[in-house]
Amino acid sequence: MNDTQISEDEQDILQEIMNIAFGQAAAELAEIINIFVVLSVPYIRMIEAVDLPGYIQTEFSEFGNISIVEQNFWGDFKGTALLIFPAGSGRELVSLLDDSPAAEFQYSDILEKETLMEVGNILIGACVGKVAELLKDVVTYSPPKVIVEDHPDITMSKTLFDPANSAIILKTVFCFNERNVHGFLFLITSHKSVVWLKTALADFMKQYE
Amino acid sequence: MIHKILIVDDSPVSRKMLKSCIPKDRECQFVEAGDGLAGIESYKKHRPDVTFMDLTMPVMDGITALTEILKYDKPAIVIVLTADIQIKSINRALDAGAFLVVKKPPTRERIQDVLSQAEAVLRKTS
Repeated sequence: MNDTQISEDEQDILQEIMNIAFGQAAAELAEIINIFVVLSVPYIRMIEAVDLPGYIQTEFSEFGNISIVEQNFWGDFKGTALLIFPAGSGRELVSLLDDSPAAEFQYSDILEKETLMEVGNILIGACVGKVAELLKDVVTYSPPKVIVEDHPDITMSKTLFDPANSAIILKTVFCFNERNVHGFLFLITSHKSVVWLKTALADFMKQYE
Repeated sequence: MIHKILIVDDSPVSRKMLKSCIPKDRECQFVEAGDGLAGIESYKKHRPDVTFMDLTMPVMDGITALTEILKYDKPAIVIVLTADIQIKSINRALDAGAFLVVKKPPTRERIQDVLSQAEAVLRKTS
């Protein structure tokens, strides 16, 4: 194993940290927009960034179009967070905030975009922020960018999938107020950040020895 | 006073973190389970003094396992240790009969504190 790959033990630690981070994200979302998020056990995997488009194509093939919230973050842990929702999720979220069934809601593209941006901003910020805090890092963020309902092939910026990058896949299912909205969070980070991450994970566990 | 502790959590890392927060001089015996259903079985088999229970787990979630354990043994002390810190989740756990809810990651101070509270109850009831 080279120093830009993570071991099974490191993956377990990262999974627990992501679990804590996602709990924080859900709590913030619940507080800010007054909804209840049923959390699931997160699935963590690390792959090369060049393999991510193929992974996303496979995962989302049954959904057709996708919506993406993209946000860059900078610190020792540096990269891009992609929060991906299958087609229809944005509409579900908009109607959820309006507290009426999706079919009855008079939504607009702008409203859907703003809702995805708000939800994505909270989830990514809390999740990446908590990971950084637990690993004693501080990160700053770019404003979120939203692409609503587009084909994965068109929407994904090719520069993200640089061979010098790795992708941490955090797959989780959000269930908002008993409506299933599936969301996938991907963190794309440089090999240099992965090297830092490995040391930070080891340091994190030292306090529990 | 607390001799046996059951830890129900699907994450081996989380179980390790919790165990490290319990001072060695307590000389506690640990029993571990990786999901709610295995947790119930372990509880019945080992009858721990205190159980730490995660909420989000495969097979059976922590609230269901907590409810089943309290049905089986009403005075059981079950402490929920969870990353799900939404107010509604905390209230659900307390309504289901959790002794306390502790947020992840655990700290030595917080775990010492909850064990002292559990010991005080055990002392009264023994």
